[in-house]
Amino acid sequence: MSLAPLRPLPASEPSAGSSFYAAAEKIYPREISGRFTRLRQVAVVALLGLFYGVAWLDWGGHQAVLFDLPARKFHLFGLTLWPQDFLYLALLLIIAALSLFFFTALAGRLWCGYACPQTVWTELFVWIEQWTEGTRSRRMKLDRGPWTAEKLLRKALKQTLWVALALWTGFTFVGYFTPIRALGAGVASLSLGPWSTFWIALYGLATYGNAGFLREQVCKYMCPYARFQSAMFDKDTLIISYDEARGEPRGPRRRGTAARALGLGDCIDCTLCVQVCPTGIDIRKGLQYECIACGACIDACDGVMDKMGDPRGLIRYTTEHALHGRATHLLRPRMVVYAALLLLAGGALAYSLVTRTPLILDVIRDRNALYREVSGDQIENAYALKVINLDDRPHTYRLVVSGMQGLELTAPSEPITVPPGSVSNIPARLDAPAARAGGVHRIALTLAAVDAPGISVRENTRFIGPSP
Amino acid sequence: MTPSASPEQKRRARALDVALVLWPSFLAACAASLLFFAVVDPALLRDAGPRLFAGLEREAGYALGFIFFWGVGALASALSVYLIRTERSAAGRTGPGAP
Repeated sequence: MSLAPLRPLPASEPSAGSSFYAAAEKIYPREISGRFTRLRQVAVVALLGLFYGVAWLDWGGHQAVLFDLPARKFHLFGLTLWPQDFLYLALLLIIAALSLFFFTALAGRLWCGYACPQTVWTELFVWIEQWTEGTRSRRMKLDRGPWTAEKLLRKALKQTLWVALALWTGFTFVGYFTPIRALGAGVASLSLGPWSTFWIALYGLATYGNAGFLREQVCKYMCPYARFQSAMFDKDTLIISYDEARGEPRGPRRRGTAARALGLGDCIDCTLCVQVCPTGIDIRKGLQYECIACGACIDACDGVMDKMGDPRGLIRYTTEHALHGRATHLLRPRMVVYAALLLLAGGALAYSLVTRTPLILDVIRDRNALYREVSGDQIENAYALKVINLDDRPHTYRLVVSGMQGLELTAPSEPITVPPGSVSNIPARLDAPAARAGGVHRIALTLAAVDAPGISVRENTRFIGPSP
Repeated sequence: MTPSASPEQKRRARALDVALVLWPSFLAACAASLLFFAVVDPALLRDAGPRLFAGLEREAGYALGFIFFWGVGALASALSVYLIRTERSAAGRTGPGAP
C-alpha cells in the first residue's frame, strides 16, 4: 500500500431529502490487506467452497445434500426428511434467526461482513474485477477513458468471467433441488427441461445483478436486516468505530512528527478508510446503517498508523461503553434471553430428531359401509391403511389391534414390507363377534417393524357395529 | 419528488419504484412458496385441481406457484407504492410522516 497518490475526496453528502433519488455514484473499493481482510478471504473461500463442493458429494448411494423437490423429499447426509417433517425445517429457520440475533447483539454485523451471500459473492466478483481491470486507480482511469481495444478486451474478459461464474452458481443452486449429476448431463447434452433452465437463468441473473451490478446498493436499499439490526444493538455490542477523541482534530503531517505538538489528533486525513469501504461511507462520521462491519477501514487505518509510527486502533472493533471509558459487559439480559431461546430451540430440534420414528401410519375407515355382516355371526369393518416408510432401508412391519375384546385382524394376514422412502396402500379388515360388536368402539392399530427394534407407531380409530 | 427534479432524478425514482415493487414481493414469494409447498404437493393440482392443470409436472407446479405468489405480492407492493406516491402530501416528503 502506498501513501503517495492520495488526495482528500470531495465532500459528497447529499441533503437528506434528495439522497434517496441522487444518482448512486459508482464505488470503486480500493484493494486492501490486513487481519480482517484475510479473515473475510478465508470465509469467502470456505463458504463458496462448501456451496460449490457439497452439491457433488454422495452419501450412501444418493446426493449427500439434496432438497429433491420433484420427489418431495430432502436428503441431508444420512437423514431423509419428508413434507411431514416440516417441523424440522421450521425449527431450523427459527434457530437461524435466533443465531442471527445472538451474534448481532454480541459482535454486531458479523453476518454482513463475513457470511452474507451478498458479501461473499460480491467479494468474488470484485476479485475478478481487480484481476481483469487492475487496481482502484486503474479501474477509475479505465472507466473515464475512451473505448480503446485494451478497455474493450478487459471489460469483455471481466463480463465473460462474471457471466460464466453466475451461470455456474445458478447451475449449482438448482443442483441442490434436482440431482446435480443428471442436471449436468442435461446441460452437457443441451436437453434440459424448461423449468430447470428457467431457474438456472433466474438464479444466474440474480447472482450477476447482485454481485456484479448492484453490490453495496443491495445492503443500502434492499436489505431489511440492515434496517432493523440496530434494534439488537446496545452499548456493549462490538461495533467498528473511529476513536474521535484520539483522532481529532484531523490533519496531514509528516511521518514521525508528534501530532499533539502540532495541535492535531492522530488521524492524518488520508481518506484511505473511505476509499476501501465497499459501501462508500466515512466511518469517521460515526456508526451508520450502511456499514456492513467488514473491517476494511480497520485494516487500512492500521496500515497507516504502522507507517506513521503510531499505535494501531484509531479505527477498531470496540463498544460504545469502551469508547467512553466504561466497562463492557458480555453477560447482559438480552444475551441471556437470546442464548436461552437458542438453546431451547436447538434442544427441541435435537430431541425431536433423536426420537423421530421413521414410520407413518394413516388409517382411513371405509367410506362405503359402516360395517358388514359376514359368515359365522361376525361383524366386519374395512379400513384403508397408508404405510409410509421414511427410513433409508426397507422394513417389514406387523400389524396388531387392541382396544376391544374378540377383535381380530383378518387382513392383512402377512407382514407388510415397504421399500425405503415409499408409501404402501394396504386394505385391512377387522372382525369381531356380533354379540360384542354393537355400538362404536375406540380401538388402536399398532404397526411395528419386525426387523428393527423401536420402530413402531400406534394410530387410534373406531370399530362400528350395529346399534345395540 | 419535487417538480424541479431532473430527468436523471426522475429516472432514478422510477427505477426505485420498480425495485420497491419487485423486491419485497420476491422475498414474500419465497416465504409463501416454502410454506405453501411444504403442505401442498403440486401434483395435487394436477390430480384434483381444475382441468387447467392437467398434465402439469411437479417442477412446473413449483415454478408457477412461485411466479403466482410473486405476482400477487408485486400487485400489493405496487398498490402500496402507488398510494404513497399519489398522496397529496407526498410531494417533497423526506421521510415517513413528513408534512
